[in-house]
Amino acid sequence: MDMAKYRQVFLEEATDHLAEMSRALLELEKDPANAEAIDLLFRMAHSIKGMAASLEYSSITEVAHRLEDRMQDVRSAGRVAGADGLSLLFRGLEGLEKMVARVRETGEPPPPDPQLAAALLASQAARLSEDGKKKS
Amino acid sequence: MARILVADDASFMRQMIREILEAEGHEVVAEASDGVEAIDQFKTHHPDLVTMDIVMPRRSGIDAVKGILELDAGARVVMCSALGQETLVTEALEAGAKDFIVKPFKPAAVIKTLAKVLEKEDQ
Repeated sequence: MDMAKYRQVFLEEATDHLAEMSRALLELEKDPANAEAIDLLFRMAHSIKGMAASLEYSSITEVAHRLEDRMQDVRSAGRVAGADGLSLLFRGLEGLEKMVARVRETGEPPPPDPQLAAALLASQAARLSEDGKKKS
Repeated sequence: MARILVADDASFMRQMIREILEAEGHEVVAEASDGVEAIDQFKTHHPDLVTMDIVMPRRSGIDAVKGILELDAGARVVMCSALGQETLVTEALEAGAKDFIVKPFKPAAVIKTLAKVLEKEDQ
């Protein structure tokens, strides 16, 4: 397979997705329960994850996967939980934008961002722990 | 060789799977970028097999499987799944999908799964 061709398709499609995600986050800032924006963010994160995995961009795959998981939680809850929740989603988007820009500039897989991945994961772990406490 | 409909909302994935299928001699008769389009293209082209992404806009891949099976109970649909979608894959298989392939696509695994589904149904 001509991976240079797929890298170009990835850059075009991921750039469009990130712009749509940015618009969706601004919608969520106005209305944290906007179902259309929540669904779009989930689908776009999922799509970026799939493309990045195909190109073996593990750092992008990891952050997109964590963001997708966060959006799955948001979908289940029906809304983004507070300013912190929204801020974390903006941080995730910004991280992905930087990584995609790095691929565009260098043609190489971007380095991992363990702090961002950990923050997205910690947020999910906190939510699961809270659910556990509610059930017990 | 089979006539195949490829449904995925990502152009990247449609191009990649088309390349894998065409290298094996299959014909991609149409592409769809959401669940509604997948059902419409199925009606138009009556393909031998459909590769169906699970997460798509308008109607999900699972909804589209149900819509296609209402049109043709013998339709062969293979789901395209990703890491962490085990529950959705199970739901799709229960809805009538024949099998699944996992992203990122490994050409040999894709061809093997599709051949198995096509052979099984030909018997």
